[in-house]
Amino acid sequence: MIAVEDLTVAYEDVVAVEGIDLSVDAGRFVTVIGPSGCGKTTLLRAVGGLETPTRGRVRVDGDPPERAQQRANVGFVFQRHTLLPWKTALENVTFLRRLAGKPPDPDGARDLLERAGLAGFADARPAALSGGMRQRVAIARALHLGADVLLMDEPFGELDELTRETMGLEVRRVWRGERKTVLFVTHSVPEAVLLGDRCVVVRGSPGRIVDSIDVDLPRPRDRDVLESDPFQERVAAVRAALSGGAT
Amino acid sequence: MSLAARTPRAPVVLPLAALAVGVAVWWLLSIALALPAYVLPPPTAVADRLVANPDLYVASALTTLRRIVLGGAVGVLVGAALAVAVVEVRWLRRALVPYLVAARVLPKIAVAPVLLIYVGTGEGTGIAFVALVAFFPMVVSTVAGLEGVPEAHMDLLRSLDAGRLATLVHLRVPHAVPDAFAGLKQSTALAVVGSVIAEWLVSTEGLGALILFALEDVQVDVMLAALAVLFAEGLALYGLVVAAERRVGWSQTGGAPGPGQDRSDAAAADRRSSQTGAR
Ligand SMILES: Nc1ncnc2c1ncn2[C@@H]1O[C@H](COP(=O)(O)OP(=O)(O)O)[C@@H](O)[C@H]1O
Ligand SMILES: [Mg+2]
Repeated sequence: MIAVEDLTVAYEDVVAVEGIDLSVDAGRFVTVIGPSGCGKTTLLRAVGGLETPTRGRVRVDGDPPERAQQRANVGFVFQRHTLLPWKTALENVTFLRRLAGKPPDPDGARDLLERAGLAGFADARPAALSGGMRQRVAIARALHLGADVLLMDEPFGELDELTRETMGLEVRRVWRGERKTVLFVTHSVPEAVLLGDRCVVVRGSPGRIVDSIDVDLPRPRDRDVLESDPFQERVAAVRAALSGGAT
Repeated sequence: MSLAARTPRAPVVLPLAALAVGVAVWWLLSIALALPAYVLPPPTAVADRLVANPDLYVASALTTLRRIVLGGAVGVLVGAALAVAVVEVRWLRRALVPYLVAARVLPKIAVAPVLLIYVGTGEGTGIAFVALVAFFPMVVSTVAGLEGVPEAHMDLLRSLDAGRLATLVHLRVPHAVPDAFAGLKQSTALAVVGSVIAEWLVSTEGLGALILFALEDVQVDVMLAALAVLFAEGLALYGLVVAAERRVGWSQTGGAPGPGQDRSDAAAADRRSSQTGAR
């Protein structure tokens, strides 16, 4: 689980987020939505120990972030450009786990690539893959690491909407099977509602949490949900929270 | 895509054709202008020199080669090692990198006479000079490669609390490979130059020395023969470096893609999978 208490992160000249309280129970899928520059990335990086809190505290499965890193208990998926260009897709999937000193599991890695629709691309270098395929490799890498907590920062931000929905639903399907704790950052309202069990709305500068909206939609989710009334209601609620209206 | 890349034989055929045309023009000129052999000997005269006394050219080429390889190896290895040291030790970086970059504007040939004083007039001076000229491009390029790792890749290793050594071995060094090879190519070319200069200053052996001796006797055919051998030697060394790069290197755009797959295939596969998902 993820526990964030009264978190403030300030850079030299700007306070990125302030007074964030957030708790994600083990095995939950929580999305964070907010406009560009509201501190979503900063929040995610602080949870994963890549930024040091100016105030407040972060716990990941009870550990401070450094300890969680040492246990290889946080898997990051960043927006882009994180595959090592000199490694093949398969090597990209396996190397983080190897670096973490966990027992190798080559069959598991191939299986993940296969499930991501990349069975024929195990030996391809990233330069030969499309943007969507690279992100799938990056997700496979995070899953293969075997961390219980996944932190995803607009992983599909560069993809077209259709591919984006498909991959989001794929991630949700995998998450249902493996029961990871997921914190998923996005600036797309439909994506936040489609994927999250709960949708946390961040706004302002410095960013603060202004609302948290439960998304109790039927499962497993698929594209049909997008047309349903409950989905549209949640989308409207998130939009209202984003623009500062009542919820 | 260039012509050379499209037709597999073009990189060999076209340059060879150009060489043949060049030699033919040279030959015709030497006949048509009827210049004396000490001004422009025909290509046949140069070939005769090579054939008549192969031992001289082979021995000279080996002497030059030895100096290039020994000096070049020292310069390149010290350059690579210093690059790692400079990247890992911050105060060393602050102290040295300005000079390493500024050394570009110092003509290394001006240092050669100074080496004569300190290293003497023996073979050591030649090797030291080659090492000196090979050192700079290697160290500067390798530092750039080691430091150019994208922050996103650094974050990936930070997320595992990976140490400096792991970061160096798994990230910085492999990332620096293309830049290091770019430096190595420059170093190779400069090492050839350096060896010739060293021969002009301190040695009586090697292709450079042979050219100088031929100058005294105005033997243009010998000079050209020695030049041809030197050119072939330089090309062969450069070719070795390029071959090594092909084996162990990678590039942002190419790398070694999987069988029969390129970017457009990949993009098509992406669309297909999103359509399947959209059912
Ligand atoms: N490394 C950094 N140094 C200084 N300021 C930063 C840095 N990263 C982000 N910021 C600033 O912090 C604020 C929040 O940024 P970020 O967390 O990236 O927001 P988001 O991900 O929601 O777009 C912005 O004003 C941004 O300019
Ligand atoms: Mg961001």
